[in-house]
Order: sequence, then structure tokens, then C-alpha cells
Amino acid sequence: MRLGRWSLVAAGMLAVAALVVAAGSNGTDDSASARVEHLSEQLRCPTCQGLSVADSPASTARAIREDVARRVAAGETDAEIKAAYVDRYGEWILLRPRGSGVAVVVWAVPVAALVLAGAGLAAAFRRWRRQAPAQPTADDRALVERELDERGRVERARSERPEP
Amino acid sequence: MKAGLGTLAVAVGLNGSALGVAVLALGLRRGDERLLVAGRRFVWVVVGAAVAAAGAMEWALVSHDFSLQYVVDNHARATPLLYTIASLWGALEGSILLWALVLGGYLAFAARKFRDRAGDPLVAWATLTGLVVAAFFFGLMIGPANPFHLVGGPTPTDGAGPNPLLQNHPLMAFHPPMLYLGYVGFTVPFMFAIAALVTGRLGEGWLVATRRATLIAWGFLTTGIILGGWWSYEVLGWGGYWAWDPVENASFLPWLTATAYLHSVMVQERRGMLRVWNLSLLVATFALTILGTFLTRSGVINSVHSFTQSAIGPALLGFLGVVVAAGVGLIGWRGDRLRAPGQIDSPVSREGAFLANNVLFAGFAFVVLLGTVFPLVAEALNGRQLSVGEPYFDRMTVPIGIALLFLMAVAPALPWRVASAGVLRRRLAGPAWFAAVTMLGLALAGARGVAQILAFGLGAFAVGGIVRQVVTAVRSRMRADGSGPARALRDVTAGNRRLYGGLIVHVGVVIVAVALAASQGYGVKREFRLSKGESATLNGYRLTFVGRQVTETPQKRTVAARVEVARGGDVLGVYEPAVQIFPNATQAIGTPSVRTGLAEDLYLTLVSSPTDTEEVTIGAAVNPMVLWLWIGGGVMALGTAAAVWPTRRRRAVHPGDGASREGSPPDAWESRSRTLTEAAR
Repeated sequence: MRLGRWSLVAAGMLAVAALVVAAGSNGTDDSASARVEHLSEQLRCPTCQGLSVADSPASTARAIREDVARRVAAGETDAEIKAAYVDRYGEWILLRPRGSGVAVVVWAVPVAALVLAGAGLAAAFRRWRRQAPAQPTADDRALVERELDERGRVERARSERPEP
Repeated sequence: MKAGLGTLAVAVGLNGSALGVAVLALGLRRGDERLLVAGRRFVWVVVGAAVAAAGAMEWALVSHDFSLQYVVDNHARATPLLYTIASLWGALEGSILLWALVLGGYLAFAARKFRDRAGDPLVAWATLTGLVVAAFFFGLMIGPANPFHLVGGPTPTDGAGPNPLLQNHPLMAFHPPMLYLGYVGFTVPFMFAIAALVTGRLGEGWLVATRRATLIAWGFLTTGIILGGWWSYEVLGWGGYWAWDPVENASFLPWLTATAYLHSVMVQERRGMLRVWNLSLLVATFALTILGTFLTRSGVINSVHSFTQSAIGPALLGFLGVVVAAGVGLIGWRGDRLRAPGQIDSPVSREGAFLANNVLFAGFAFVVLLGTVFPLVAEALNGRQLSVGEPYFDRMTVPIGIALLFLMAVAPALPWRVASAGVLRRRLAGPAWFAAVTMLGLALAGARGVAQILAFGLGAFAVGGIVRQVVTAVRSRMRADGSGPARALRDVTAGNRRLYGGLIVHVGVVIVAVALAASQGYGVKREFRLSKGESATLNGYRLTFVGRQVTETPQKRTVAARVEVARGGDVLGVYEPAVQIFPNATQAIGTPSVRTGLAEDLYLTLVSSPTDTEEVTIGAAVNPMVLWLWIGGGVMALGTAAAVWPTRRRRAVHPGDGASREGSPPDAWESRSRTLTEAAR
């Protein structure tokens, strides 16, 4: 087809267009109920085993959901609501650790590791590119010849064998 | 009697494995082949001991032998037979027993496979390593996790019964054994990796020999993880299937490193490269299974899975230390022999894609490991408690998952060594357009969310690529020998089961990814307070509270709310979300009622029990496409089975044959020549 060399690029652009359409309408949903939902996903249910307040069916979790809804209605910001819970329960209540104090480690280390791995790979490729490609030795050639002969024999034997 | 038999069996198992290690070590030292052959026989002692011990425990459970502490704690006369049998893995001690049993099975599998080569030092070292692991687990059963402890004082007439969560869904009988078949199976490649390092025979032979064991273990682990999600969804009642619970993470970690290995091993088979990396992945996978057991069983982490606090923690931690030290030490020691001469010519090539795949899988595993153990470490260091939960894991892992999906779509189309722009275009343009049109169509139809649309689009990309690959292969076969399409498809797939099995697994992964994206992104959830006869509406479903129902059996008391579900005027049935009260448990267990459908599930839970005035609060959720998670898991298991299934014309390949050319498997040759012919076209 004439689209030829640009075919993949065009498909990529179409995909990006689709993403823009999909992201467009609900980029920022700051309705009260969405904020309550979002906050309860980040608060840990104090009486459960690792579930969030949003997921947990426990009565404590329901009480916290209601309290968060009240605070949102009273006009508190997300940061204020989270701070109030941290004051009461400690950092432990936040399922997504804040990027401060020791907790910075969980955010920074993976990113650093990824950057390092990428850099390492790039360096490896540069080194490989500089290396001259290995030349086949006479031994290698003989080995390939033998193997091809063998394969030819096997294939012939297979094609001559009557079908079962 | 049963306790006596069990204790005896455990003692025989410990002594048998220790003796086996001694005999093999002596034989290796003296170079005496007869000792090596004799040492291998101890595997059968270990197998027999494990079977006898597990059998004694099952016998005690089934015959209500309450002279055993384990039976008293985990069984009651009223427990149904299925859960009685499953009680073997319902608590710490029994699960170690199950571990020993499965390990015995894998050791037997390996011993049988290499029965003609028992005198080979490589096989002997592998057996020795396996027996060391077996000795450790039998040792646990002598020491901190003795399943055959007798009750002090008079024998009770009845026991407490299993943990309530473990006796109200049949999946409990399958999820743990599957998981263990996966977990423990990674001992086999670990054994051979250690053997290859110790003997210095680091050619590709050992790896070809253990490839199948790795794949089998991987398939079981995949199944076990998916079944665990299913169990969680059907039993726990919070509406989800994966909570990034530390112990879920513990099962996922070895899966990630094993998946990385299954891909990077192909680079080693083909190009002889990445030897250090592959050995490290095998050692890491095995170490992570031990770490997972430590996290699960030591009680260091609060989770659904840590049934007991126990003294087993330090033992497992010590063993983990030994495994890691041995692995790192051996790899460091053999470092010079592991240097591979090859080079990777271009990042845009099959091996380049495998490298990227491995960076991503390793990064994935690293993030999950960090998020899981960081709260422990932080608390140990500064005494303050922290949480790392779902929002963290979602933020970190969704981008990695999307990148992996992209690679999965592109990599199978890339040729080895170097990909020209022409080849890329020819192979990828069709699937890429299919993906782009899918994405645009869904977006215009109202689908929302960047991650969702990317998952659907990349899924379409991957499936498009797989279809193209199969169609091309079938067509060329038809042209070559004039056979019909059905026959050509059969011949083509039978000729390279590993490749096509792998592609089936990829299809399963796409199904799972799409189901994850849809169920995470498009679910709806509400709570309704209803009095008798009252209705509520959620997403077109009309829910009417019909009344409450109380059922009593000796096992439990069930209080259910009968909820009639209707849609568009049609009554779809009456569903009964319930609360179950087990006589010996303090906490009542909520049990959801799920209307499963291909497009979406309706998930009903009881938030508060129906009162005497017949008022109830129910939780209702519509979860799209959850069924496809289990279907996708099934497809992955099927693909693994297809890849593992023995091919008829398989040439025997022996481990440790040194040079890669000797050990190079026939199917590698075959697909190599296919790649060449295809590239030439």
C-alpha cells in the first residue's frame, strides 16, 4: 500500500488521537463524591488487614467514609483531610506513603533503579556496537557444513518416508 | 499410632535426606560412581517418608484423631470431607508437610528423568542440593513446625474446625496445592543451576534439561495465583480479587522472576549470552519462594494468610540467607567462566526485546519486593509504622504492565539479531492498524481512561500479531506441501509446540490484562438500606429485598438476605448474600453472592444482617469482565500445557554437554531456519 513507510507512524498517531479522546472528558473529576471515593482509596481501614477504607465492608471503614464525606462537604481540602487522619492514626493510615521522610525511599529507589538499568543497557549496546563482529573460524564453517548436511539428510529421509 | 507413624516418617525423611547428602558428598569427593548411584536412591526414601507422613496426617484428620494437636486445632467432627482433606494445608505445620510431599514428588521426577546418568557429577550435585532442601523442610517438622504434636492432657472429643475462611469455598481445596506445585517446582531448576555452577559445566545442556520443569512449575504457579484471586473474590466479600496483600505479593514475586527467566533463557539458548543473568534469576526465584514462605508463615506481616505466630521465622530467614549467600558466592566464583563472547547487535531485535522485557520484569519484581518489605524495614529502623498499599502499587506497576504489554505485542514479530524497517513494517503494520482502530472505536463509543484504552489497544495489537504469525505460517505450509488449512495448522503447531504454546499463553495474558483494565476501571459500587419488599436500582439491575433466611447445619449457621434481581422487567433470580457463623470462631464471615456473566458480574454482599424488623443493608457492585480473569488464567494454563507436552520426535538431550551447539535443542534449529526463511521472504 502507498502509505508505505509511514504506515506504522500513522497507526501510532491514530492511537494517540484515541487516547486524547478517552482522556479528554474525565481528566479532572472534582465532584464531591469522586473526591470522597479518591480519598477513601488512600486511607487504610484501621480494623482490617490491609484493605482500604473504600474497599472494606467493615463498620469502622464506613464510619471513616462518612466522616470524609462530611469533611469534604465542609470544604476541607484533600491535604487537610489526610493530615487530620495522619494526626489521629499516624503515617500508617496512608496507603500511599508520602514523598517525605523515610518513605521517599519507596518512590525514589525504583525510579533510580530504572534509570540505572536503562543507562546500563545503553552503555552495553554502545560497547557491543564498537566491538568488531566475530569472524567465523574454519572450525565454525566446518561445523555449519556438517550440520546442514545432516539436516538435508534428515529432511530427505522424512520426505521419502511414506505418509502414515 | 498415627502420630507415631507420622513422627517416624518425618524422622526417616530427615535422616534419609541427610544420609543421601553424605553419601553423594563422599562419592563426589572420591569420584566414586557407585556411591553416586547409591546416593540417588535416597530420593526414594525421602519420597516414601513424605508420602507416609502426609498420609498419616490425612488419616488422622479423616478419622477424627483428636489426640493430635493439629487435628484439634484444624478439624471438627462436623467439618465436611473436602475441607477435612484440605485441612492438611489449612495451617502452618500441615503446609510444611505439603511442601515436603510436593518436593518429594519433584525430586522423584528429576531422579527418574536422569536415571541413566546418576553417576554424572552434575546430576549428583543437583540431587545433593535437592536433598539439602528436603532435609531443611523435614528438619522444620522435627523442630518448630511439628505437625504430629500430641495433645497434652486428656484427648478432647471434638476440635475447633478449620479457620472459617478456609471452609466455605471449594476453591480452598485447589488454590494452595496449585500454588505449592508452582513454588516448590522451582527447586528443580535451582538444583541444576547450583550443580552447573559447582561443577563448572556452564554450557547450555543443564538449562535445556530443566527448562521443562521450570515451565511446569510456572504453569502451576500461574494457576495457583489466579485461583487465589478467584477464591478471594468469591469468599472475602470486598468485591476485589487482588489487594496487594503482602502474601499475594509473595506469590507474585517468584512468578515475576520466573517469567523473566522463561524469556531470557531463549537468548541464552540462541546466542549463548546472559548466562550470569539467567543463573541469578533462577537463584532469585527460588530465594523468593523461601522469602514468600517466611512472610506467610512467620507472622511478621499481618495478613489473611498468616494463620499463626511461630518460631519458624528465624529458621526460614536463616535458610534464605544460606540460599542467597550460596547463589551469589557461586556466581561470583564462576564469574570468569560465565563471560559470554557474544554481542547484541541492535536494540530493535528479538534479543533486544528480551533484554527490555527482563529489565521491566526485574523492575516489577523490585517494586513489589520493596513495597512489601519496606514497612517492615522502616519500622525496624525507626519504630514508626508506615503503610504501602494499593495506591502505591497501582501507581508504580500499571506503567510497567502497559510497557510489558507493548513488548508482548511487538517482540514476537522481531527477528533475531537485527530488524530492518521493511520487516518491521511488513509484520507490524496490520496488527498496529487493528490496535489503533480498536482504540479509536472504543474511545468514540465512550470508553474512558488512558490506562484502559492502552490496555485494550495493546491487547488488540498483540492478538493481531499472533493471528498474523499463525496465518503466515499456515499459508506457507499450505503452499509448501499442498495440504488443507486444518492439516497445515495442525502440522505447523505440532512442529513447534513451545512457540505456539507460548503464543497461547500470550493470548491468555491479553485476556487477563483486558479483564483487569475493565474491572478496575469501570466498576460501580453502592450500598442500599432496604426494608422487606423495598427495591433499589443499580446500573439497570433492580434489587428487591424479599426476606431473610436462616439455615443451620452442624458446620455453621447462615443468615442470608434473599434479594430478587431483575433487569428490564425480567426476573433473573434470587440471590442470597449471607453472613456465616461458625461455632468455634468469634467473627462472623460475610459471604457474597455473585451473579456471574460474560460481560459483567453483579456482586451482592451483606453489609449488616437483616434485623428482626426485616431491614437490611446490602452492598451491590457491578464488576465488568471479572469472569475473563479466570478464563484468561485457564488459557495461560492451557498454553503452558501445550508447550510442555512431550513432542514425539524429541531427541534426547543430556545436561552438561558443554558447548551450546551440542545442547542446542532440535526445535531451536527448526524455528531458527524458519526465522531465516521468513526473513528472506
